[in-house]
Amino acid sequence: MSTVGWVYRSAGQRLADDVREMLREQRDYRELLYQMTRRDLMLRYKQTVMGFGWAIFMPLVNTVVFSIIFTRVAPLDVGMPYPLFAFCGLLAWNFSASAFRFAMISLTTNTSLVTKVYFPREIFPLSAVLVSLVDFAVGSLAVIALMVYYRVTPTWTLVALPVIVLVHVMFTASLCLLLAMANLFYRDVKYIFEVLVTVWMFATAVLYPVASLSNRFGLLLQLNPMTPIIEGYRSVLMRGSLPDPLSFGVAATMSVVLLVTCWVVFHRAEFQFAENV
Amino acid sequence: MGEPAVIFDRVWKKFRRGERHDSLRDLFPSLVRRMVGRQPSGDLADQEFWALQDVSFEASRGEALGIIGPNGAGKSTSLKLLTKILRPTRGHCHVNGRVGAVIEVAAGFHPDLTGRENVFLQGAIMGMKRTEIARRLDEIVDFSGISAFIDTPVKRYSSGMQARLGFSVAAHLEPDVLFIDEVLSVGDMSFQQKCLERMRENVRAGVTLVFVSHNLQAVAALCKRALVCGRGRLLFDGPTEQALTVYLQAAQTTSTRGGTDRPHFRVLNAALKTRDGRVCHTLRPHTECQLTAQIECFIDAEDYCVGIELERTRDLLYCYGTTSEELGMPLRFSRSGERLTISIDFAAHLTRGHYRINLNIRQPRVGRFLLFAESVADFVIEEHETYDGVVDIEPRIALSTETAKTNYVQPATIA
Repeated sequence: MSTVGWVYRSAGQRLADDVREMLREQRDYRELLYQMTRRDLMLRYKQTVMGFGWAIFMPLVNTVVFSIIFTRVAPLDVGMPYPLFAFCGLLAWNFSASAFRFAMISLTTNTSLVTKVYFPREIFPLSAVLVSLVDFAVGSLAVIALMVYYRVTPTWTLVALPVIVLVHVMFTASLCLLLAMANLFYRDVKYIFEVLVTVWMFATAVLYPVASLSNRFGLLLQLNPMTPIIEGYRSVLMRGSLPDPLSFGVAATMSVVLLVTCWVVFHRAEFQFAENV
Repeated sequence: MGEPAVIFDRVWKKFRRGERHDSLRDLFPSLVRRMVGRQPSGDLADQEFWALQDVSFEASRGEALGIIGPNGAGKSTSLKLLTKILRPTRGHCHVNGRVGAVIEVAAGFHPDLTGRENVFLQGAIMGMKRTEIARRLDEIVDFSGISAFIDTPVKRYSSGMQARLGFSVAAHLEPDVLFIDEVLSVGDMSFQQKCLERMRENVRAGVTLVFVSHNLQAVAALCKRALVCGRGRLLFDGPTEQALTVYLQAAQTTSTRGGTDRPHFRVLNAALKTRDGRVCHTLRPHTECQLTAQIECFIDAEDYCVGIELERTRDLLYCYGTTSEELGMPLRFSRSGERLTISIDFAAHLTRGHYRINLNIRQPRVGRFLLFAESVADFVIEEHETYDGVVDIEPRIALSTETAKTNYVQPATIA
């Protein structure tokens, strides 16, 4: 795009043009997204004996630990078998957290590609999301096993599951784009993120319902989209109910707005990456 | 022909020296600075410099365009602008058609993946479809000549093998416009030759080629037209032969390596001419040449002889060296303030390449150099009859066959 001979376009028109260009690029380079995801998946489990087993094993270990704490040491009533509650929460949380971690460094670890070859840079963070999504899918097999073990049968509400996954992926992807870009310009982001993500996890309904915290940090906790998303999974899978329309609706709207915003910002900053990485 | 395939229109590109604010600590001061005074894009702030200044050129469809120039001239920056990796500060550039770019052949390779896996990855990075790569996989592997190691992780490859595989993927792209940046420097001679041949085929098939290289022979062999860049500016745009002359003259630096601080002798001027008296830079093998030089003398020098050395610039291969003493001439002496004129006739029995001539003056009895002038003249030999070598031995090959009487056992074919 030239800087000489700018044609005046309104902000709305520019946005529409950018979105169109972003979608076209993703269509043109879908092959590369697939290959990059494949590469990262192969790399992740190359020279490991357990391979995809790790995707189940890690949350399982945490589940066992927290199950002991919250059933023996400090019993907690969560309205369903605690291991099921914790595993579901941990698995969903891990999908986002690992995508964030992986996406954040995706541009900086691929410096030679960023400075030597042209293709849409979104490929890096988006493939990080897809890699984590595959792990998430593998880990879900253990959820099914746990549900069979605890004799929890899902009801018709299961049809809402794809919607929850979609919102979850959109929210995760938008932060991935933002983090990858931020870390490229400022390497501090990586360290700040590590601190924040720990706090964030304990402010989310991963291991316990956050309703008990809500008096003190009410608004902040309600605005955290991760809680309605994780609660959404539990509702449609185990409780046989639909997610709470208000809180989930807010989370879904936020996810869509965030995704568009982050992607457009990423797209507009993209041409500076090679010079600043 | 219609629209040109590559357009570069009054492009300026600004770069920053050193690190930009790399951490948040530096962010806020710079944000404040940016808010207080916004400078127009035409001015240079502290630490900034122009990597390209007002560069314009075009390449039409099916043309092979070479870009030469010293390091830091802006050659690679131009290619990065054309491939959209960078964006111009001012001006604009545009490419019509599907772009294939080889800025670094093995950029997309991941060390932990096998050669085969990397071919698919690299292909996708260069914009090939999976089916397209799968269809041409055998061809790609054959071309690289490393089929035996295709399922070995790339981290166990030598750098030459990586380059071979990388270039093979690039060679099987089917682009409209191909950008090549100094990729022939890797790989052995026969592979380089193969790559050149491949590029020539591409150009014949109508691909537009923009070729950046320090390998002047390759540029001369491939491109009819060439650009010479220097310090971010376009110095010349025209026929390759003239471009090489411009480049070599611009690059010619005469350095003096003497034993003392004060020079004893200094080269005033030197020129290489053909027999008919034309100053020349590009020659055919066996051309009769004459090197003339004028040398100023600052001391009273006794018993010295004059020496000439010929080197190939690419690898500084020492091709020839002699002195007036070795040729049976008497030692000379001169007074301070005198001017010495040297004239050396020789025949360039050389093969394709870029060569340079060094002159020296030394006192063989005391074993002391009074002057050592590197690269007082240089020239390019152009020919297409050899594939490697330095000396043109002018072979004439005759072949004939007759029926063998012995029971000849065919050796196993080498894969």
